[in-house]
Amino acid sequence: MSKNLKLKSSRAAKDMSQKDLADATGVTRQTINAIEKGDYNPSIKLCVSICKVLGKTLDQLFWEEDEDE
Amino acid sequence: MSRTNLDEMQVQKRNMVGNQAFMLLFYLLLIDIGLSGFGFRWLQYPMNVFVIMLGCMTYYLTRIIWNNSYVGPRPKNRNENVGGKIALGIGVAAFVAGTVAYLNMDSLKKPISTGDNSGMILFVFSIVLFIVLGIVSLLTKWQARNDE
Repeated sequence: MSKNLKLKSSRAAKDMSQKDLADATGVTRQTINAIEKGDYNPSIKLCVSICKVLGKTLDQLFWEEDEDE
Repeated sequence: MSRTNLDEMQVQKRNMVGNQAFMLLFYLLLIDIGLSGFGFRWLQYPMNVFVIMLGCMTYYLTRIIWNNSYVGPRPKNRNENVGGKIALGIGVAAFVAGTVAYLNMDSLKKPISTGDNSGMILFVFSIVLFIVLGIVSLLTKWQARNDE
């Protein structure tokens, strides 16, 4: 799984640290870190929660474009 | 917060480690039974099972703590590291009391001499507490190394 740079940049745009985002979504900082690094595939519930906090849609944060498209 | 109130990644990791620990326990007990069948006894009966269970439990606890799956996310209004400060205060108090009692300072008159080595126990307790606090602090910093 590749790194989720869209999540990282959206978080940075909101001037939030991983800890801030983790507190807002009710998970640990390590979980947010693992999602950004691509080490963990979050549930749809957590994805929606992250999207609400960052004011983005699921497509904007978690949709991966195929390289051959 | 309750230790069972883990987030979804923590639950997944805890379950994975739990399955591994259970399979490890199963195979070690199976090997132990097999060795006993061949006449090889590495420990007497109750102790061999106890040692295997203790080893597996240690493996389980160490792995879930290492994977940050032992304690769930903290509530927002909780004071940061209050437990560490309380432990440090207890450690300092125990260290001072233990040092005074152990070294038997002349300037202090002891009203009661219990003679039960309590000073030594307090001294060792405080040293162990400091070591544990140091390890916890190091682990916390290590886990936060990727924070950006």
